[in-house]
Order: sequence, then structure tokens, then C-alpha cells
Amino acid sequence: MTTTERPDLSWLDEVTMADLERNPYATYERLRAEAPLAYVPVLGSYVASTEEVCREIATSPDFEAVITPAGGRTFGHPAVIGVNGDVHADLRTMIEPALQPAEVDRWIDDLVRPIARRYLEQFENDGQAELVAQFCEPVSVRSLGDLLGLQDVESDKLREWFAKLNRSFTNAAMTSDGEFANPEGFVEGDEAKAEIRSIVDPLIDEWIEQPDDSAISHWLHDGMPPGQTRDREYIYPTIYVYLLGAMQEPGHGMASTLVGLFSRPEQLEEVVDDPTLVPRAIAEGVRWTSPIWSATARISTKPVTVAGVDLPEGTAVMMSYGSANHDTGRYEAPTTYDLHRPPLPHLAFGAGNHACAGIYFANHTMRIALEELFEAIPNLERDTREGVEFWGWGFRGPTSLHATWEV
Amino acid sequence: MTFAVTVGGRSVECDQDQALLDACLRAGVWMPNSCNQGTCGTCKLHVVSGEVDHGSSPVETLSDEERCAGMALACQARPRGDVELRPQGTSAARTANPLRDMVATVREISDIARDTRRILLGLNEPLTFDAGQYVELVVPGSGERRQYSLANTADEDKELELHVKLVPGGVATHGWLFDGLAAGDEVDISGPLGDFHLPPESEDDGGPMVLIGGGTGLAPLVGIVRTALRRHPEREVVLYHGVRGEDELYDGDRLTELAGQYPNFRFVPVLSHEPADGYREGFPTDAFVEDVSTARGWTGWLCGPPAMVEAGVKAFKRRRMAPRNIHREKFTPADA
Repeated sequence: MTTTERPDLSWLDEVTMADLERNPYATYERLRAEAPLAYVPVLGSYVASTEEVCREIATSPDFEAVITPAGGRTFGHPAVIGVNGDVHADLRTMIEPALQPAEVDRWIDDLVRPIARRYLEQFENDGQAELVAQFCEPVSVRSLGDLLGLQDVESDKLREWFAKLNRSFTNAAMTSDGEFANPEGFVEGDEAKAEIRSIVDPLIDEWIEQPDDSAISHWLHDGMPPGQTRDREYIYPTIYVYLLGAMQEPGHGMASTLVGLFSRPEQLEEVVDDPTLVPRAIAEGVRWTSPIWSATARISTKPVTVAGVDLPEGTAVMMSYGSANHDTGRYEAPTTYDLHRPPLPHLAFGAGNHACAGIYFANHTMRIALEELFEAIPNLERDTREGVEFWGWGFRGPTSLHATWEV
Repeated sequence: MTFAVTVGGRSVECDQDQALLDACLRAGVWMPNSCNQGTCGTCKLHVVSGEVDHGSSPVETLSDEERCAGMALACQARPRGDVELRPQGTSAARTANPLRDMVATVREISDIARDTRRILLGLNEPLTFDAGQYVELVVPGSGERRQYSLANTADEDKELELHVKLVPGGVATHGWLFDGLAAGDEVDISGPLGDFHLPPESEDDGGPMVLIGGGTGLAPLVGIVRTALRRHPEREVVLYHGVRGEDELYDGDRLTELAGQYPNFRFVPVLSHEPADGYREGFPTDAFVEDVSTARGWTGWLCGPPAMVEAGVKAFKRRRMAPRNIHREKFTPADA
């Protein structure tokens, strides 16, 4: 098939970033039906939207990782999500020891459970809460912050950082000339990074002299010859990867799971009654609304044909995992949250050698947080006086989630 | 023909017509189990190797997908050859009270309330069980088995106390226990069974408890409440007995006397349909919601008709009892 036989995709010219951030599903549903691999002008990039094409590209030997333009502008180089070969191998070797299942099992419960309890104690007798800001996000950032060695950085500051980095990273609109359409959209990300450096630089100075068991201290020292540490400029882009995605997404995953369960009260009750169902509820939650909706990309390393489209060497493709997880070719009624859906593998954590390194940590953080929430407030209900809005194209989740319960 | 059933490194013999659970419990190998009717799913496990016949496992409890994925209900599945099993979740080692077959002798039958009998069964050998567990009675001539909770504490191990409600047309009650059964009769029984019992004494922190029994669902609670109070005489315990009318109440004196001995124990009979002077009206689960403002840190115990148990779970959660602390007897009385 050649491109001349492809359907008319001129409707894509009308698609704006604001549309995608408000609700990307309609656009991507049409992409999946008409052109599972298509050039989307506002993004200045090809986009893979079906499960099959995303999985094919993510695991193809003819593609390697690349960071999206706005992502690269935000994080700099070398961020673990956008590098390949030896540098990628070194960065994965640097971050993975702390994230191995056997290692995570050793401390995850002692790390996350007291944090979840602490935040719950602040509101469990109030009879109402906004769970995104009061529980999901704080538990997520505090757990990872303590693991990284950022105990002294307030949870609200960590939340502010991920939100600013998020908006900068997903400031993806491009002009037809291949320039950023909204360069001012990077300013708040730059400000956040400056503040991060002002706080983390002195910690790095300390860790260089006095290593401790925090993750960033290990990143500096592990695998280095005695007396040497990794250069901080080399690890900062990956610190930003953590301070955005790893901080934000467990919170998104928990909140989306809760919204999904609130849409099925009988399923919420099942999970509350049987906490062994929490992992399954989360797996469906992150399939239903994938936190990393469209934030990673691949680039072809030679001319290649995918889904009938000929791509020259060096063509970037954005991986729309949030769309792939709504693929009707794979899921029945994918827009419905259903705890009892056959548990097929989903793409919420990506695929291939750039699949999420924190999958085990994130899943268990979310699990423990929701176990504690349901244990403390088994009579939790959504506050139907307030609506629930989702936001985000690159990263997606509910912006707020009001709940009530009898006290 | 018998096959080897291996679970957790232990191997037991299982007849081809015998349920996997039955073989394990008889050999003193514990695995999670509750209703022994295939309806609660507590005994669901992985068949690691070998084949089983799922017998009458209901599809509601064990879906086709689960069967394809190698799951089985231990209380229903029969081996088709040597099999290796792995219980779901943690298989924390627990002492089992071995399941045994016994011949018991009827010591006493008394009518204690409307359509309700207390039956005392004497044993030649003491039975090891936990208060709250149940036994199965074999209905003579029919081969049918019926499940009845023990009202005993664990040290009352040579005379079993059952509370039996008449089921009109029921093969066990109408046809036998309320018609023809006499003191001195021999009865075939198997037991103990079920997971409706207190944790071991070393793990029992003496925390507050609420127990709600509907009709003869009071029976296991009589054993549990006496055990709990003996362990921790100061603990807060509330026992609700829900019935339709005053003439269905029984054991009121016994429980009132207990309340006299233990200052933090309260016994509350509740009448749902036929009000009478001096009694609470309504459903016992509603009475609990009225009486207890928060059940954080409490454990809850429910035995009775399914609708009452469901209402009890909701009531407990409404008062913020942690769901893992909610215990319910899962076997349901047979229909007529």
C-alpha cells in the first residue's frame, strides 16, 4: 500500500493540543479506525494509536528510543527514556537495583504503609476529602521522595514540581515549520528545574562525600571506581524523569482506579470486601485511563514499513499507550471500567527494552495506598455534588476526586 | 482407587471419589475453606500438575477461564490422577483440627423456641475444634449431609450442642430431627469444618467485638462469645440476636447471666416482625448502627440468613470496621 491510497486525514489539521488535553479519546478512536499510524500535524510527529502497532514498534529491532521534542527540551540529555546503547544500559543499570521486585519487597510495605496512614489520619474523620490532592498525590510523592533521598522536600513542593514539569514536557504543539508553537510554555518547567537544582545540588554535594542508602546517592556511586562518582549533569535528566513521571503517575493510577470503581459501585464493594482484588482493580484502572497516555516515542533506525506506511530512517513515532489500551480489537467496550474484564496484558507500562523500570514499585505503592484507604474508610463514596474531570494528553488522570463517607 | 495429592510439600492419599479438601483435612493438612458447598470460593486453589474432575463446582464460583487457568475448588474437585496443589495467596502454616468421622449418641433433645430445638450429641472421644466451627450430620437413609454450627467452647469437647430450626418439608429437620429423633439414637457426623472462629489466643488482642446472629445463627456466636470473654474478661462485646418474634428467642437467660459476669458484654435481642414489650424492634443490623457510632478497630461476626449477613457487612463498613475484620459464616442452610 502507498500513502496515496490512504484515507483522507485532513480532519487532523483541525486537532489542537487543547482538544487532546481535554479529551484525546475521540481523536484517537478515529485514528485507530482510519490510520493506526498517522502523521498528526499539531504534534509534528507520527503517532501509533492501536495496540498492535504500538507493540510492534516498541519491540521492533528497527526502532530505538527517542525523547519527544518537548520532552527533550524539558529534561535535557541523557534522560533514560530517550537514550540507547551503552548510555541507556548504564542508566538502567544505575536505576534498576532499587527497583528489582525482590529488593522492593524488602522495604515497600514499611515505606508506603506508614505514609498512607499518616495522610489518612489527617482526614479520615472529616467525612469528606478531595482524594487527588489529599491522598493519591501525597502518598505517591512522599513514598518516592523518601526513597530518592528527598525527605526534606515537602510533599506539596514535589507535587508542584511534577505539575510544572508535566505541562512543560507535554507542551508538544509544533508549527508547520517544526518549531515549538508555544515556547513560553517551557518557562515554568525551567523555573521548576532551577528550584530543583538549588535544592538537590547541595544534597548531591553531601552524597558525594557521604554516601547513604538513598536512591540518588546510589546513582552517584554504584558501579563507579573508588573515589569517583557519576557526573551530576549526566544523572539530572533522569532525576527529572523521576520527578515528573515516577512522582506523578502512581497518584494518577490510584485516582483513575478509584474513579473507575466509583463508576461500578458493586465492583468497588467487592474490592473493599476483598483486598486481594486491589491489584486487579489497579491493572484495570491503568488500562482504562493510562497515566502515561502519550509521553514516549521511538525513532526508526532504517527505512521501514509499519501498518502500510513507509517511514524513512530517522522518523519519530509517538507511542499512544492510552489509546492502545482502548483498542476495540483487543478489549470489549474499552471505555468501560470493568474489574472482571479478562486480564489481558495492557500497555500502560509500555513494552520492549524501554518498558517502565518502576512497574513493580509503582504497582505496590498504589496497592498499599488503596488497601489502607479502604481499610480506614470502607464506606467511601464519590461525592456526587462534584464532577470528575480528567485532563492530559501526555499524562492523564482526574484533576480532582471528591469523596464522602459517614463518620 | 486412590491418588497422591501433594500440597505444600506434604502428600496425602485421596480417593477418586473424594474431594481434595476432604482428603487434606482428614490428614491434618490445613487449607483455606469455609462453606464446603462450592459457593464461597474460599478453597479455590491452583492445580500445579495433574488433572481434576471439577464435580459440581458452580460456574459462578469457578469460571471457565479459571478452570482453563488451572484453578479448582478443593471442596468439590476430585482427583483424576496424582495431583499437586498450591493454595492461593499466602499459605501460612496453620494447625488443622483434623476432620473426622464419628458416631455420636443423642443425649438430649429440647424444644427451646418456636420450631427450634437444641440437640446435645455425646461423643466417645473428644473432638478437637475451635469455637464457631461446624459439623455435618448424615441424614439416615438418604445419604444427605446437613451442616450445623457448634455452640460449644473448645473445652466442651465431648458433648456437642446444636441449634436446629425446622425447615418445613426439609429432609433433615422435618423428616428426621423434628420427627423421630430420640435420645439414645446414634448419628453419623463429620467435623470440624469451616473458618468461622476466633484467631489463636496468642493473636487475639482482646479488641472490641460485635456479633450478630439471626435465628439459630446464634449457635456459633454462643461458643465464640464465651471463648472471647474468657480470654479477655474486660473486652467490649455486643451480641445481637435477631428473630421475627419473641417466641423465637432462646438462651436469653444464659446470655443475660453472662452479661452479669462480664461488665463490658451486652446481649441485645431484637424482634423484626412481632414487637413485644421490653424488646428492641427492627433488624439487628440496624440496631447495631444505632448503638455503635464507630467500629474502627472492632471485629465483626455474622451468622444467619444471607440477607442478614449482607446487611451486616454493610452496617459494619458504614461504621468503618475494616473489611478484613468482618467474619461471616458462609454455609447456608439447605432448602426443603
